[in-house]
Amino acid sequence: MTDRSTEPGDELTPGADETTLEAAPDGGVADAETVDQPVVNPTADEPDLDRGLIAAWAAKMITNPDRAYRASFYVATIFFLVTTLFPFYWLFVVAVTPRNNLSEVGVFIPAGFNPAAFIEVFTTLPFHRYVFNSFLIATIATVAVLLVGSLAGYVFGRLRFRGRNVMLLLVLVTSFFPPAAFFIPLNRLFNTNVDVLRPLLSAGSLYNTPYAIFIPLSAIFLPLSIFILMTFYSQIPDGLEDAARVEGTTRIGALFRVIVPLSAPGVATAGVLTFISVYNEYFFSSLMTDGRPGSWAPMLEGILRFQGEFEVLYNLMAAASIVAVLPVAILVVVAQEKIVSGLTTGAVKE
Amino acid sequence: MSTDTRADEGGSLLARPLNWLETQSEEVYAYVLLTPAFALLALVAFYPLIETFRFSLLADAVASADPFGEFIGLGNYVDLLTADTNFTQQFISVTLTDSFPFVAFGAPFLQQAIFVTLAFAILSVLFETTIGFGQALVLDQDFYGRRWVRVSIIIPWAIPIVIQGMIFFLIFNPTIGFGTEFMQWLGVFGNNPLSSSTDSFLIVLVADIWKTTAFMALLILAGLQSIDRGLYDVAEVSGASPWQRFRYITLPLVAPALLVAMLFRTMDAMRIYGLIDATAGCETVPSLTCLVIIALQNSRRWATASAVAFLTAVVISGFVVVYLIALRNSEGGVA
Amino acid sequence: MASVKLEGVTKRYEDVTAVNEMSLEIEDGEFVTFVGPSGCGKSTTMETIAGLTLPTEGTIEIGERDVTNLPPKDRGISMVFQNIALFPHMDVYDNVSFGLRLRQYDQEEIDRRVEEAADIVQLEGMMDRMPKEMSGGQRQRVAIARAIVRNPGAFLMDEPLANLDAELRVHMRTQLQRLHRELDTTIIYVTHDQAQAMTMSDRIAVIDSGVLQQVAPPLKCYNEPANLFVAGFIGSPAMNFLEGEVVDGGFESEYANIDFDPKAHGVTPRQDLTVGIRPENVFLEEDSRKAASPTKPFDAVVDVIEPMGKEVNAYLLFDRDVEASAEGRGEGQLLINLTPDTDIEEDDDVRIVMDRQNVHLFDRTSGDAISHSLET
Repeated sequence: MTDRSTEPGDELTPGADETTLEAAPDGGVADAETVDQPVVNPTADEPDLDRGLIAAWAAKMITNPDRAYRASFYVATIFFLVTTLFPFYWLFVVAVTPRNNLSEVGVFIPAGFNPAAFIEVFTTLPFHRYVFNSFLIATIATVAVLLVGSLAGYVFGRLRFRGRNVMLLLVLVTSFFPPAAFFIPLNRLFNTNVDVLRPLLSAGSLYNTPYAIFIPLSAIFLPLSIFILMTFYSQIPDGLEDAARVEGTTRIGALFRVIVPLSAPGVATAGVLTFISVYNEYFFSSLMTDGRPGSWAPMLEGILRFQGEFEVLYNLMAAASIVAVLPVAILVVVAQEKIVSGLTTGAVKE
Repeated sequence: MSTDTRADEGGSLLARPLNWLETQSEEVYAYVLLTPAFALLALVAFYPLIETFRFSLLADAVASADPFGEFIGLGNYVDLLTADTNFTQQFISVTLTDSFPFVAFGAPFLQQAIFVTLAFAILSVLFETTIGFGQALVLDQDFYGRRWVRVSIIIPWAIPIVIQGMIFFLIFNPTIGFGTEFMQWLGVFGNNPLSSSTDSFLIVLVADIWKTTAFMALLILAGLQSIDRGLYDVAEVSGASPWQRFRYITLPLVAPALLVAMLFRTMDAMRIYGLIDATAGCETVPSLTCLVIIALQNSRRWATASAVAFLTAVVISGFVVVYLIALRNSEGGVA
Repeated sequence: MASVKLEGVTKRYEDVTAVNEMSLEIEDGEFVTFVGPSGCGKSTTMETIAGLTLPTEGTIEIGERDVTNLPPKDRGISMVFQNIALFPHMDVYDNVSFGLRLRQYDQEEIDRRVEEAADIVQLEGMMDRMPKEMSGGQRQRVAIARAIVRNPGAFLMDEPLANLDAELRVHMRTQLQRLHRELDTTIIYVTHDQAQAMTMSDRIAVIDSGVLQQVAPPLKCYNEPANLFVAGFIGSPAMNFLEGEVVDGGFESEYANIDFDPKAHGVTPRQDLTVGIRPENVFLEEDSRKAASPTKPFDAVVDVIEPMGKEVNAYLLFDRDVEASAEGRGEGQLLINLTPDTDIEEDDDVRIVMDRQNVHLFDRTSGDAISHSLET
């Protein structure tokens, strides 16, 4: 198992291979393949070639621990890729299998091929509108959470003041409760007709508006972001903040011009986690609107609509979920550059 | 050369309050900056929680228009803890046909739910932390194609719970999926795993680990990224093995981020509901939040639901204390 | 260019008073150094001038403008930090121009000023380097460029050389003096290193436990320290102290008696007195002509000899019974400077004299200086 999976690992990363193998020309892959050939290895002292593959491999691992770590790295990478991607692949298999053949769907191969499911998703329902609703709600919520969370994370991470621990605990306590615990009072609150809101909202209540989803969700996912940002902001040296203030900005300015950019991995992480959490949220999303696309019903409602009254359209649900995951996938592609940004050299620590 | 007294950032509307803030004490400043966060939390969290607590002290009024009856003090809590609360009839009979979750046959429902919730939280956080740490270490490396590996590892987290539920529902659906046959071949599962509590619990656990490990990986990765790489050079020069580097540099320095991740993951796991609802159903694998929803939706017992929600919070707070102590002891934490 | 004036500045934290009733006037164009042991409040004082810390009491004026309630950005100052504090996510140009860009200068003006500043600190051609790609000395020069580019009224420098290696530190010291001459700006400099304080400043402000001990030109602090603390802190190696009391004919202690007229110095018999004498003002008896006015000789024994090249430090004991203290110089120990050609060895018995013109008298109860010479 271990031997086999180093191969695709090496194929995947030819560059890494070249750089590390200068000292050992027989290479990582060679372990498995050069059974009968004499192994020329100038670094490892290994005259005994009759020991057999496993023993030789083990000996090499022991004499050259770095190689062992590298091999286990590839094994781990392959393992993680297979386990995380397989269910996703299977979702695709289900999506392209024609509805009538679903009971014959295999492990790897779809029973038939019907890519039209990806078009049907949009023709059966205005699914794009659902996705747009969710995308918009998640974007607003993420911006709000990062903004409010940055201020709070800065305070908790960098300032000393009375009542800090109590207030931090208060933030945390909100995460003790199931979302349902907020629901009844919020549902009443949002369904109440507030006359003040009348000019803004035709119905005078928040039900069936994006606010009904992103306000509660912002608050519910705020504590996590505060904690993440707090840990990152607390690590920025005081001198940098002081320098920015003397140079000509306010403390808030220093926060957004210096501390936030230097905490890019943390901010990006908090942002991605919040966005995905809101985008995928289950409970409030399904209760705060009437489920119609025009009422700002989120993507989730759209997917659930494929559970028709008489028949569950599994292939369409699968196709719809793949479509719905795409915006998030793009976001992750973009954000991971920030998460693993150029600050890897520890430049912040001076 | 003239002395520089130009004001910054133009004459923006914000300049005046910001300047005022600059000259306030650190304490005032802290409170002002916390205002937006606490305003939001007050509206969406504190106010509803107080209301919910008030509801939990009222009697259920299943039949009337207003679902809350007269004030009964801690009556709902007492009933719950003494197992006098009956959830739906149909519900009980389904659950107790199976011996899982390992408490005695006919055990009070709340106990089952607490057991399921704790078992799920501990097992899932354990696996997710270990695997997530492994993933984070892989993602932390510099290698060709790492961008796509990162995206692949994070992508399960991006899948909506409904879909995640559907995937595993379909995999273990005896007519469509292959999972049942495979697990039966391994000798683990019965004929219809989604209606067996034990089998379903495992399915939910695996499904959750599959999806949420990415959450841990992402947070731990962010922690790893903030470690000064120079430290590794120092360690390498002084002859530390990779394991020692991990043990004495990576682990202690990533501890604050790791604990925050585990803390939130634990709280989240203890509120598991959506995934159960989307796969096996709350009747098969009852969690505490499941009870809240069942009482809320199926039987309109809103006061009881409120009480269960608060009991959930009490159970969670027990765990949180442990984390807070750990965080206090780790650098850059709460203390 | 601006004067800086502190009046009654006090900074109290919950249970500590970091700065106590500090009043000080710094003239336009002056180079003043705050010096003192770590934790003495010198950095806190500077932070209150910068506006990074708000004083509990007192007022601060910069350029005859009350800035006590102004944020740092509006005080017309710039600052160089001990840890250099360059923004790691910006290149040199962005670091240097940060303050100008915040103040929305036009691009041409920014470019002109950045170029000028880079020229002064010799950073030409490094504008697009990132801080992490630079050496410690280069980073320090960037930090200085960032400070001078805005033509501030006053520069605040908080231990700017502390993180540099010894050779670079000496080099930067002369650079800073040159900079001060070129820019002719008020500089307030914080250090715990009295060598930097002595060499660069017009005046030094010696601070201990949050209290200003003496503000004077370096040589005055050296020759006429205002109290025991200044006497012991300024000068390396430090001044020798003898603890004793006033008697009718002068000073008496366990190891040495010195004759003088108590009345002439305004001291009364049985007053607790500490006598201070710098190592270079003590001589071997045979060199007593080097002293302007030698005391009578004392017996001593050589404990340790440290040849320094241009001079020799000799640690003496007044008595063979004196136990050499493990930390610093204890009672009965005396350090003297000798010329390198002096022919003495450890364990030798020697006779020494002090120069009466440089014997300092301190009231031990208050610590205040009474006299800086026994000659009247």
